[in-house]
Amino acid sequence: MQGIISTGLIGLSLGTQYALISIGFTLIFGILGVINFAHGAFYILGGYFAFTLSHSVGLPFFLAVVLAAVATGAVGYLVEFVFIDRYVSDHIATMLITLGLYLVMTTAIGQVYGPEPADFRFPVSGSLRHGGIYMPYANLIVFGVCGVVTAAVYWLLFKTRYGIALRAMADDRAVAIAQGIVPARMFPMAFAIATGLAGLTGALVTPILELDPNGGEAVVTKAFIIVILGGLGSVGGATVAAFIVSIIEAYSSVYLGSSRGALALFILVLLILLVRPSGLMGRETRRA
Amino acid sequence: MQFGRQRELVLDICGVALILLFAAIPFVTGSPLLYSWTNQTVIGLTAALGVYIMLRLGLLSFTVPAFMAIGGYAAAILAVSGTTNLILLMSVACLTPAIFAIPLGMLVLRLKGIYFVFITYILNEILQLVLFETPGLTGGSDGISGVPPASLFGMALWSPRHLVLVTVGIGMAAAVITLAVTHRFRAEFSSIEDNETLAQSLGVAVWKYRTLGLVASAGVSGLAGFALVNQLSTANPSSFSSFSAINYIAYAFIGGRRSLMGAVIGTIFVVVMSNLFSAQGQYAGGLFGLLLIGVVMIAPAGLIGLAQQVLPSRRSIQSKAPTEANTI
Repeated sequence: MQGIISTGLIGLSLGTQYALISIGFTLIFGILGVINFAHGAFYILGGYFAFTLSHSVGLPFFLAVVLAAVATGAVGYLVEFVFIDRYVSDHIATMLITLGLYLVMTTAIGQVYGPEPADFRFPVSGSLRHGGIYMPYANLIVFGVCGVVTAAVYWLLFKTRYGIALRAMADDRAVAIAQGIVPARMFPMAFAIATGLAGLTGALVTPILELDPNGGEAVVTKAFIIVILGGLGSVGGATVAAFIVSIIEAYSSVYLGSSRGALALFILVLLILLVRPSGLMGRETRRA
Repeated sequence: MQFGRQRELVLDICGVALILLFAAIPFVTGSPLLYSWTNQTVIGLTAALGVYIMLRLGLLSFTVPAFMAIGGYAAAILAVSGTTNLILLMSVACLTPAIFAIPLGMLVLRLKGIYFVFITYILNEILQLVLFETPGLTGGSDGISGVPPASLFGMALWSPRHLVLVTVGIGMAAAVITLAVTHRFRAEFSSIEDNETLAQSLGVAVWKYRTLGLVASAGVSGLAGFALVNQLSTANPSSFSSFSAINYIAYAFIGGRRSLMGAVIGTIFVVVMSNLFSAQGQYAGGLFGLLLIGVVMIAPAGLIGLAQQVLPSRRSIQSKAPTEANTI
């Protein structure tokens, strides 16, 4: 019984991480119509920024995490402005560009930090044990921070004028532009927020898991699954799907083994898509 | 840019002829490097043709590695059991994924746009896991090794020279299938790509042509998978990773997604470039990334599109005089 509860808690903690990554991914798709293959690279970049700031510069870990998120977001802003902005209406072109960016970024990171995983550890160790339930403090902290940040993203999107404008762009770009919303101002900023979220997650999570230059591919695949399951472009859907995926993953890796667990997950997603071709909470489809 | 039906056909036939030129390589040189380069190019372009067929229907598909794996494994299983006839292996490698594609098409072709892209990506992931989970049939993570080379008229085609010729032969078969399908159904495919609703309202059975496209793409991909297995004499899950689909998409796109010639030229160009890059060792990935970004930014219609822009065609010079202008 305790095993089941502990596994569930790990699943929830994974869910908050997945939610942050997938919200960013789905925001970029919803607003720009771009599948960001480089999303995993931004996650890794956030990890390395935090690593440098905390280990080489000597800043306190939490300050390093915040700065890493901001720095990753800034890189995202620049990348969108220079490489992606002109091609937003061409899905295949932006896919190839973000894929190219992924390769360039991981190569650059590998050159700077070396191909071996970096020795980046979470500053808080130990774990909470209560009545047979076991949960590392690090996971609890990540759970808390990701939960708060997710709430903040919701507030930004649903309660501020900026968020309303962003959602208007996602709903109907032509009408939003006719209302006087300027894409040139919205797109890079939306990309910056989304990549900043990926950077934040990377900075928080890589010290628990592993920080190596090629870790981004698995992250992108996970974000893919979550985002289609939830419905592309839907922030609510991505959040719900992140928890579904993480909990299935946590239980299946304990009770089925990781490879069968993944197979079960993929088949579940396939079945859901066949019944609901736009995902759990998706509405429109865009042309590829 | 739309250009005449005739010119499109001529360009695509030139593309097929270009593949045939690779058959000359084993007769003019014995260089193992050139042989490996030829195998890599022809297998890559065969797979890129699988992507190209779906692009003609306006669908971006990641299924190519999955169908390659089905074709490659089917041929490997047959060859290991003792049947090594090249024609028979090619037919099996082509037909098995094509048959798989029919029920699969019924399921996934309902999805459109990005959802189709994603679901085809997931199908690859599922197939990879299935390969790992069925060691009895597919050898699991070790794959099937020691696949005997194909034979023709009782002669085993095992020498490097023969292997190149087999690869080119398979590539030619795939190119001819692609040429036949994309030109026989050119009008239907184009109408679906341009405006599906309009095509449907004009009486084009969209689902039928989509399924046909997927079946053809599966068959062509299966041939590419067989060529790869035959060249490596191993069928291994790592040869068919989901991420490799991106290479084939890049080949078709960089060359120019609107013609068969584009897939051929794109593959030759990218394979040459990446071989140059691989001399740079650890920078290879980054340089390939820069190449992708560069081509998309400089030549969004691919190399063929760029050539058409740069080289003024005879027709465009003539058309300054009043002629039968904009016929498609």
